[in-house]
Amino acid sequence: MGSTKASMVHRNPWLSLAVYSVCWCVGGFKGGAEETLPPSDPVAGRSHWAFQPLSNLAPVHRSSWATSSIDRYIFDQLNDAGLRPSGDAAPRDLVRRLYVQLTGLPPTIDQVDEYLSSVNADATGRLVDSLIHSPHFGERWGRHWLDLARYADSNGLDENFLFREAWRYRNWVIDAVNSDVGYDRFLLEQIAGDLLPYETIEQRDRQRIASGFLVVGPKVLLGVNTERQRMDVADEQLDTIGRAVLGMTVGCARCHDHKFDPIPTADYYALAGILTSTQVMEQRYMLGQQRRMERLVGLGVEGAARDAAYEKYWRELPKVKQAKTRAESVLEFLEKDDEAGLKEYLMKHPEALAAGAKESKVERNQRIEIQKAAVASFQAIIKNPPPIPPRAMIASDIDQPRDEAIRRSGVFDRKGAVVPRGFLQVVSSSHSAKGTLDVKGESGRQELGEWLTDEHRGAGHLAARVMANRIWYHLMGSGLVNTVDNFGRTGVVPSHPELLDYLARRLIESGWSVKGLVREIALSRTFRQSAAYDEEGFEKDPGNRLYWRANRRRLEPEVLRDSMLLVSGELDRNPMKSSVWYLGDQATAVGANKNRRRTNFYARSLYLPMIRNDLPELFDAFDFSDPHATTGARPKTLAPSRALFILNDELVTELAEKTVRKHWDNGSSAEERFKGLFKSVLGVKPSEEEQTRFLAFIRSAEQRLRAEGAEDPERSAWALACQSIFAMSRFQLLN
Amino acid sequence: MSCHQFNREMSRRGMLRSAAGGFGQLALAAMLGGTGRARAATQSSGPWRPHLKARAKRIIFLFMWGGPSHVELLDPKPELNRLAGKALLGSNVGVKKKELGTILGCPFKFGQHGASGVWMSELFPELARHADKLCVVRSVHTEGQAHGEALLRLHTGQANLVRPSVGAWVSYGLGKENENLPAFVTVSPPRGHGGVQNYGSAFLPSIHQGMAIGSAEIPIAKATIPNLERSVATSALQRDQLDLIQSLNRDHLKAVGKDQDIEGLIGNYELAFRMQSTMPSLMGLERESKQTLERYGVDVEPTNNFGRQCLLARNLAESGVRYIQVSTNYTWDHHTKVEEGLIKESAKVDRPIAALLEDLEQRGLLEDTLVLWGGEFGRTPTAENGNGRNHHPQGFSVWMAGGGVQPGLTYGTTDDFGYRPVSQPVHMHDLHATLLYALGLDHERLTYRHAGRDFRLTDVFGNVVHDLFA
Repeated sequence: MGSTKASMVHRNPWLSLAVYSVCWCVGGFKGGAEETLPPSDPVAGRSHWAFQPLSNLAPVHRSSWATSSIDRYIFDQLNDAGLRPSGDAAPRDLVRRLYVQLTGLPPTIDQVDEYLSSVNADATGRLVDSLIHSPHFGERWGRHWLDLARYADSNGLDENFLFREAWRYRNWVIDAVNSDVGYDRFLLEQIAGDLLPYETIEQRDRQRIASGFLVVGPKVLLGVNTERQRMDVADEQLDTIGRAVLGMTVGCARCHDHKFDPIPTADYYALAGILTSTQVMEQRYMLGQQRRMERLVGLGVEGAARDAAYEKYWRELPKVKQAKTRAESVLEFLEKDDEAGLKEYLMKHPEALAAGAKESKVERNQRIEIQKAAVASFQAIIKNPPPIPPRAMIASDIDQPRDEAIRRSGVFDRKGAVVPRGFLQVVSSSHSAKGTLDVKGESGRQELGEWLTDEHRGAGHLAARVMANRIWYHLMGSGLVNTVDNFGRTGVVPSHPELLDYLARRLIESGWSVKGLVREIALSRTFRQSAAYDEEGFEKDPGNRLYWRANRRRLEPEVLRDSMLLVSGELDRNPMKSSVWYLGDQATAVGANKNRRRTNFYARSLYLPMIRNDLPELFDAFDFSDPHATTGARPKTLAPSRALFILNDELVTELAEKTVRKHWDNGSSAEERFKGLFKSVLGVKPSEEEQTRFLAFIRSAEQRLRAEGAEDPERSAWALACQSIFAMSRFQLLN
Repeated sequence: MSCHQFNREMSRRGMLRSAAGGFGQLALAAMLGGTGRARAATQSSGPWRPHLKARAKRIIFLFMWGGPSHVELLDPKPELNRLAGKALLGSNVGVKKKELGTILGCPFKFGQHGASGVWMSELFPELARHADKLCVVRSVHTEGQAHGEALLRLHTGQANLVRPSVGAWVSYGLGKENENLPAFVTVSPPRGHGGVQNYGSAFLPSIHQGMAIGSAEIPIAKATIPNLERSVATSALQRDQLDLIQSLNRDHLKAVGKDQDIEGLIGNYELAFRMQSTMPSLMGLERESKQTLERYGVDVEPTNNFGRQCLLARNLAESGVRYIQVSTNYTWDHHTKVEEGLIKESAKVDRPIAALLEDLEQRGLLEDTLVLWGGEFGRTPTAENGNGRNHHPQGFSVWMAGGGVQPGLTYGTTDDFGYRPVSQPVHMHDLHATLLYALGLDHERLTYRHAGRDFRLTDVFGNVVHDLFA
């Protein structure tokens, strides 16, 4: 395979190999009805489970274990497999689990004690409600969406320019999640926020900021054909929307009809037409020159004017600099009293002489003074650039929105037939089987945003399934559909199809309330199970696909850092605006530019600078999502950098030291102090055995440190002990 | 293999990538059973066995960042001197544009070297002594008129999408030879032009990401690996601390029965601890004889830095690292004063490279180490700013040595101006396919399933250049 294309290329090696070849699909489906129709047929494709309307099948069995509908669906399948649910998690584990899953922060000792003092069903309900309404909920769950939105503070790829205003979009997401904006509206504002009506300037600005979703993608910036760039940008947006919202690899249909999923190439270009009728880039001043970069808009009532004035300053700066140089030349002639030279120079540059200095009657000294003042005024302009006005990344329609031509094999300059703008036919209702759009003079983004969650005529059922599955995945540690970004034929089928449909219906019925669904799952008995190992369960279902127990989870890097900050007393719980304000236009420290992103803010980790290709060390060492592309499930790997980070990174040693300092005066003895320290980090008291081992380590470490001449051997030994608690699997994993 | 068949069963590599324990268990084995058992475990459960006969076990890529001029170094073009100052017409080189600029002559003399008569410019006097080891490819071409795109294509095969780097594919394909070291190490990588993406693992498990030592602008003598330096004064103290951590973690494991994540963490700490003692010994020069240091040009200018980098590359190769990249600083981008620039840059690398080839040969490593030299693109036959040359991905040269390639071979030709290949063109995808082939990997079979489809380094392209091999 590939040899035909490749050899064709070889006969013409000098032709630019602009073939995108984004899509190389391997695999295939054989047999059955699918042999007669291609897999990309959108009508036959509706038989695939994910494109079927939501079912409404009640659970079969009754069970005394179940306390909710969710539990009954789960119990049905456990029962069929001859398995039983494990017992409830210990209240200590449950309270930690709830805090971490709902807010991304572990509970403090007081919060644990408060819950433990009144453990009953009501207390758990009250706790869940209060956590869901905590501002930290939006930070935790907003971050889940930011993974999907490939949120970053810089472009990445070939030229890593700073996205100075991206943080506004980040904070918009957090706010939207906190105020439980319906998921339908949440999507609409991100896809068409700039087109929606508004009542106040604040609302207009919020919606504009939301459309930054389309702008924050990575783009190849230099040496690229503009037409190619236009198609690439639309492709990146389609890939993101397709996988994040629909669980579909739409991008595969760019070069050919999708090999597995019911997406003909025409459907791809129908959607692409909407996005190529949209612009997210523009000509701007950057790094001392005009460049094509992300599209910005001024915020506030005076926003447009202030932005225009700012751009004008930079646009005209070269002229000002030139004027200054010329005025200086004139000054030199004046000072040398070189009338002939001055005359000749002024023939070429008459404007270089200051107005008041023109009269030859005026005394020479006075002329010099006037000319000096002119030079100084230019200098003042050069030295005092206006501050950057508040701006937001924004998408907007192009002047003349239009349908897009199919590009054969995805090559930008091999145009085929023009396709009317529209949507994926496989998830559009029969009465508009073509899924085409009727828009004049607009891109059709607003219609696209509405279609995504339209449960009658659009992709609503699919989008609800995908989102419900994501919520389940985050809370339970595995998806009902474990390929969370792929609901197509190459994805896996749901382990609990009826439950998935139930959750999707609940999501729609609640007005797409994410908080509502989180609450319902968090209060289920399924969620409350313990993670205890069980031989029979493990034998029959080692991967826990049927949820016979809770999944033990690794803490995400954000939770790990925030937890250490919390126990050390350093955590700043306030939201943060920009964390990249000190950077220049170049986001990576390269060559002469030594200005690099900082991580020494004690705000929550999601506010740290997300510089593509230069993520904070913590994220690099752990399994973060690569912000170049949408990520529904972060990778799960174990690179040695992870252990090295815990053992040696300055942040960890510093926070261990601060934690020890905070607990130094707790208790009268080493035993008491240790108990306090251990409990503050892990939420439980140490066992006798653990305490003995730790204290023995502290003693011997202190001796070694003393022998080495360490500064404060006792405190340092304790800090090593605290770091060891951070390194424990019980701290790094969530039960 | 057919394009549209895919084995849907869970393969061994599938298990390795999905199970967190895959790697962790190997590391755990290392801890419990000592290195001997770990090696056996690594070999038997490595994700891939070579598909083909492996000619090389490892690759050293010497990367000249900025784009060295092929017409001044490896691809002599008398026509440039004959027509210097005249316009290069599009019709001269088969492109639509009418005029491409003013032809710039080459200020350097070329000569034939060794029994094989490989042509080389006078800028590489030391390397010329090893001409019979080299296999020069003069017909490489790629895309990307700007550095960023060209670097990404050189290192990952793609520019507008994030893809695993060549070294990451090699690590994924062959696994580790030394369980204390990563399979892919990059010495002084560029921070710009794609930065970490150029040694990243993208969707491959992150254990395949290249371990970076320093970065291009930092002298290698001052380079470090993040968090490799102990936070405590002595190894013994950290060992004590680790013993405490591990005993607690093992208790946790015992208490919960079976758990891949806990097992993984335990193995991970051991691996990290061992890496801390392995790496510094490879990075130091204490073991090197005076003659060796002299040969590589260590401690004398202008060769000190690159000499140290090459020595480190040799140590890494000897210790079983599969893919080693050594990068220069961003110094080969000669938009002006190409003559002056090349004299300066060649002098920095010529002697160290010659020493590396000689050293590898003497240690018996050259036969299974493929050394590759090249940049992200070449330079235009026409002048820029009077005495410089612009970026030129349309045709340029690289050379290889060792690892089963035909010594003394010159492969492919460009037109009279060095503008584009006219025979035996080798696209960047072909070069990638060929590198994998040398390691016994079939670029069409080395795939990884991600986002619903199988990916490979060469996408749908790439032909192995079989003629390069002896």
